[in-house]
Amino acid sequence: MSRKIKEPVLFILPLIFFIVVFLLFPVLGTFWNSLWQDVSFIARRFIAFSNYVRLLTDGRFWQATLFTVMFALVSVFFEMVFGMITALVLNAHSRLRGALRGIALIPWAIPSVIGARIWQLIYRYDYGIANILLGKAGVGPVNWLGSPVGAFTSLVVADVWRTTPFVAIILLAGLQTVPDDMLQQAQIDGANLFQRFFKIMIPLIRPILIVAILFRTIDAIRVFDLIYVITGGGPGGATTSLSMYGYKFFLTGDFGYGSAISVILFIIAFLFALLFVRIGRLRA
Amino acid sequence: MLANQKVYISLVISAFLIFGCKPDTARLTFAVGGASNEIEFWEKIIGEFTDSTGIAVIVLRQPTDTDQRRQGLVIPLRSRQRDPDIFLMDVVWVGQFVVADWLEPLDSVIMANDIDIGNFFEPIIDQVDTYHDKLYALPVYNDCGLLYYRRDLLEKYGFRSPTTWQELIESAVSIQERERIKNPYFYGFVWQGAQYEGLICNFLEFAVSNNGGIIDSGGSMIVHTPQNIEATKLMHDIIYKYSISPPNTYTEMKEEETRLTFEKGNALYERNWPYAWGLHNGEESPVRGKVAVTVLPRANNGQHASTLGGWHIGISRFSDRRTEASMLLKFVLSYETQKNLALMLGWNPGRSDLYEDEDINASVPHLNILKKSFENAAARPTTPFYTQISDVLQKHLSAVLSGESSPDEALLKAQHEIKETLKRYHE
Repeated sequence: MSRKIKEPVLFILPLIFFIVVFLLFPVLGTFWNSLWQDVSFIARRFIAFSNYVRLLTDGRFWQATLFTVMFALVSVFFEMVFGMITALVLNAHSRLRGALRGIALIPWAIPSVIGARIWQLIYRYDYGIANILLGKAGVGPVNWLGSPVGAFTSLVVADVWRTTPFVAIILLAGLQTVPDDMLQQAQIDGANLFQRFFKIMIPLIRPILIVAILFRTIDAIRVFDLIYVITGGGPGGATTSLSMYGYKFFLTGDFGYGSAISVILFIIAFLFALLFVRIGRLRA
Repeated sequence: MLANQKVYISLVISAFLIFGCKPDTARLTFAVGGASNEIEFWEKIIGEFTDSTGIAVIVLRQPTDTDQRRQGLVIPLRSRQRDPDIFLMDVVWVGQFVVADWLEPLDSVIMANDIDIGNFFEPIIDQVDTYHDKLYALPVYNDCGLLYYRRDLLEKYGFRSPTTWQELIESAVSIQERERIKNPYFYGFVWQGAQYEGLICNFLEFAVSNNGGIIDSGGSMIVHTPQNIEATKLMHDIIYKYSISPPNTYTEMKEEETRLTFEKGNALYERNWPYAWGLHNGEESPVRGKVAVTVLPRANNGQHASTLGGWHIGISRFSDRRTEASMLLKFVLSYETQKNLALMLGWNPGRSDLYEDEDINASVPHLNILKKSFENAAARPTTPFYTQISDVLQKHLSAVLSGESSPDEALLKAQHEIKETLKRYHE
């Protein structure tokens, strides 16, 4: 081998090593596990794709899949809307800009389990802040987490609160690349506020918008900590996400089936990633 | 010099690498978990054991969460590790560990160490610790569902403590209505209805006290029965029809939530485990001295039932220190240690002879109620797949309590899923 080929290979070797050890190996390992019946108290045996066949008829799996996708779509939509609004506010020239940027980041800086715990305390039926405030207004206490719709909404609200700053910071970086003179020129040409936003800003920050949506969607699909703390997957399993459902089988000791669920979760996240990368490339 | 130093350092590092990961086979490893006061207790007991026998013991601290604690034992046992040598198991794990063949039969240990099985509650030993006439574990402490009530309120409104569910509902409805005038947060009855293992414990009591249950006389698992449907309907009605349990019963109520509600003076009756007694009567507790305990109610034509909880001790089949482990087992189950457990932690000893002890009777006035409850103990099924079955039942019962499903439909679905689960693993 000539020196010309050797050197680049040498440089990318560490990267390949890390990808294999930390990405490829766990993914393939999980897939390999999913082909076994691996239950705590009985002998492990190879059952090929039986775990996947079982998934097809498992109502709880479909419920969890539907919930996970719905949760991701709804919460990412609102995160984008509020993230954009926040980013526009933070981008405005004002003396408070520095302070506002710091304050806006607080929810994102709080560890997610602690953030979830805060929301759990807000939603609590007997001494939650939400119900205490309602009580002051003369309205009876609401069991926020008591119905599937209520629990779903409560989770979305908590997730939007927590991750909007993250979206806002990414979008803010994008907004700062939009040249001021371009916007001023448009204004002189008679473009109103909405035209300037939709015709100039959005097309210019489009690649960054896609990145924000991609990051958030993949993250929302894997949602675990928030649900684990706030609803525990209830009521009646209505808010069990795929990663929580998979975790259940780690606790009950059905590792093969749990691995199959993880593989499906991986595939769903992967498909969303492909979709967004494709959308990002179109017209770009 | 420099070269020597290098050699020395690398020797030290490799020594760490080689010996650092190795299990400590020189000492006995005892896995315990739970709240900090429990771990402190075990460390004290181990100290006494080491002083009297000279055997060094490592206390392996496990998490508080029961499922995680189980997983912490399953992983080393599955891979046949020599540690931990001896550990505590929740009552429902004993069957699982026996089927997996992870437990050393204790019959010879008992003979060699002079342990008298007659000193334990027979129904518990029979239902939990014995498989095919062999003994695999022994109870360290017992737990069972109890009914706590506000003695002062029952007296004030002229009721006596209930023996049937009907009496409980009638008195709760009446007292709740009148107490609400000055306390809008007052509820008649709090219990554990959130979707977790505690829901199964509560369900079992409603069901068995109505002549139902999870296992039929032939030992197979049947949940869709008229008695169980009736019991599930009662659980639902207590929340919705009689409104004596708060709406967050099925979303938030676990042991601590019910305890705190009761302790704040916001409940008349509370279903809880024995641990709540000491806390209800703590210095800071607003209901101190106003609380009494009785056995859980039954249906009009049923009998009292208390779900059996508690922790049992067993020895790993892969242990390399079985002799020392059996000495520790004997020490943990001795009269003195068990008495300390009752007096220091306020828990209920596994040994039945301690229920006659004067000192314990002086500190736990309702010891006879506890004894009666252990004699009515309803054990959860001992199948190795109990955790999966419990998970299925939890989901369907929770659907009933949240009003998403009818008792009949939910139990039928649960029955079907349980059957599927068992079929899958027995193939």
